[in-house]
Amino acid sequence: MIETGIPKLDGYLHGGVPEGRSLVYYTYPGVAGDVFGMQTICHATSNGRLGVYVASSTDPQMIRDQFSEFGWATENYDGRFIVVDAFSWLIGADSQERYVVSDPEDINSLTQCIKKVMEEMSEPGIIVFESLSTIMDLCGESETLDALEEWSQYAMLYDHALVYNFTAWPYSEETLLHVKENVCNSVISVGGITGDVVFGQYFGVLKVDWADLARKSTLFKVLKPGGIRAYIPKILVTGPFDAGKSTFVHALSNRAVSVDRLGTTIALDHGHVDRKGFAADIFGTPGQERFDPIVKLLSGEAMGIFLLLDSTNTADFERGKRMLEITKSFGLPVVIVANKQDLAEALTPEEIRRELDMPADVRIMPAVAATGEGVFEAFETLVERVMEVD
Amino acid sequence: MAYNLGIPKLDDLIGEIRGGTNIMMIGPPMSGKEDLINIIAYRGLADRDAAVIVSTREPGNNVLEWFERRNLNIAMDRIGIVDCVTRTLGFAAPDTENIKMASSPVDLTGIGVKISQFFEHFWMEMQLRETRLCINSLSTILMYSNLQTVFRFLHVFTGRIKAANALGVYVIEEGMHDAQTIVTLKQLFDGMIEIRGGEDGYQIRVVGLTPKPTPWFDYEINGVDVVLRG
Ligand SMILES: Nc1nc2c(ncn2[C@@H]2O[C@H](COP(=O)(O)OP(=O)(O)O)[C@@H](O)[C@H]2O)c(=O)[nH]1
Ligand SMILES: [Mg+2]
Repeated sequence: MIETGIPKLDGYLHGGVPEGRSLVYYTYPGVAGDVFGMQTICHATSNGRLGVYVASSTDPQMIRDQFSEFGWATENYDGRFIVVDAFSWLIGADSQERYVVSDPEDINSLTQCIKKVMEEMSEPGIIVFESLSTIMDLCGESETLDALEEWSQYAMLYDHALVYNFTAWPYSEETLLHVKENVCNSVISVGGITGDVVFGQYFGVLKVDWADLARKSTLFKVLKPGGIRAYIPKILVTGPFDAGKSTFVHALSNRAVSVDRLGTTIALDHGHVDRKGFAADIFGTPGQERFDPIVKLLSGEAMGIFLLLDSTNTADFERGKRMLEITKSFGLPVVIVANKQDLAEALTPEEIRRELDMPADVRIMPAVAATGEGVFEAFETLVERVMEVD
Repeated sequence: MAYNLGIPKLDDLIGEIRGGTNIMMIGPPMSGKEDLINIIAYRGLADRDAAVIVSTREPGNNVLEWFERRNLNIAMDRIGIVDCVTRTLGFAAPDTENIKMASSPVDLTGIGVKISQFFEHFWMEMQLRETRLCINSLSTILMYSNLQTVFRFLHVFTGRIKAANALGVYVIEEGMHDAQTIVTLKQLFDGMIEIRGGEDGYQIRVVGLTPKPTPWFDYEINGVDVVLRG
């Protein structure tokens, strides 16, 4: 198995792409699907695999620079990162690469080069195509589809995994269908939530022939540096006044330059979390009763909720429960954070469960927001629950 | 949602251009198309719209400087430039607030992603509802990709312009393409801004946005003012 390194995806694929198999990132135009292939090859090579990147629309040196913008230092993969240059010829530039496609507009020339690389790779590895659609544009749709079959057979022979970035431009119906259904062992659709503009991006497995199909979609965003993160656009942090909501939001938040952001609603506290392949925007609500209508408004589109409680302040527990009712209208995943555990009078999570009369399946987690203790555990628990929901 | 070109007499004749319109600007080399398309973008910025400019002929910085040099009273955070040149020259320039780098004019996937990201940014975060997309020029893109490929690309993005009620303007160099290419691409556009050589200087007219083409006008460009005569 060769992991893709895309958060959540390796789980859906039961570990990644098996040697000798193929996968296509089938991307809708305008959505940043190209990063999927990039992340996959960098993940593989940084884990000691041999990786080949077939460049069709980018200068090979620029490719290395692009990777490093994401924090992926190809020069550290000593020799395990190989570029097939199917680009330089197009702009009449010289190539420094060992593997150069002499005429990228001729599919045979490309096939020849790819076969040569496959033969010469010292061990089974992964071959990632920067843009299958560009190859198709240059060489023709049916010519390319035929070649894909040949490449697949060859890859099987040498146990290499093949991964394609493909932009689903309006090609002929047959071509699109073929790419979606026949060409690869696995198809990952990478799409955008479109309205007037594309906002919000997701991926999901359309096909996989070595594992059960997980019919799930995962929202993602692309961070630079960082790459693809499974993304939760809205997690709400609610709770009574003084429970530690603002402190909690700040303890969780870290800086990350986001490449593509979902629009934000005004909130009193707003933080962005980036952790272990997951990113989330978190919004704190005010705690006072007079703001309840605002809390209700803020809770729209939330995908998960933290209820913060001051573990020493039992008088406010009812209020906390009430706030949960205001926000949790549709059975969203909830984690209750038993905050201020550093204080002597703090009740334990189990004591709080009894006080609140909460069923056993509701997670109540101890934390000290003031020092950050327990906040990430709470985050990971909630994220896990949010991601399990379709 | 409605747009003006920022070319006084022509705007009077064609009236407001409704949102979702895609226009081809075609004319001979050196006729000032570069200035004209920037002026159309500028008109939007002055109207508090956003502008996304795809630059295939010169580095994004040059385009930005075009606006800066003219000391215009516009909010620079409403300009997004997709730069298809800098990286082909071998410069590892990172994205900036105003400029996103595509790999090359071949990289239609990347160009599409960057356009979409600017549109999303202007729509969602800046809450701007009127955006102009200016591609300068399709001719460069057509040098590296075949007609069918470019057609597919434009098919998607002229569609997005419609969906977003935006305005799209696409430059084509006259004389660089065969008639078939022009005829094919024309299908994607609602109208054309045509430029031709006149007795002294150049002439401009608009076709397709009104029942009859506008008359031809001699024109001169002074800064961001297009002065029409005739
Ligand atoms: N001892 C202790 N104090 C905390 C903790 N978290 C927050 N506080 C304090 O509790 C008070 C209220 O915190 P704040 O985050 O403003 O609460 P909010 O009203 O829910 O936003 C502040 O004085 C914080 O310093 C904690 O874990 N332990
Ligand atoms: Mg607060």
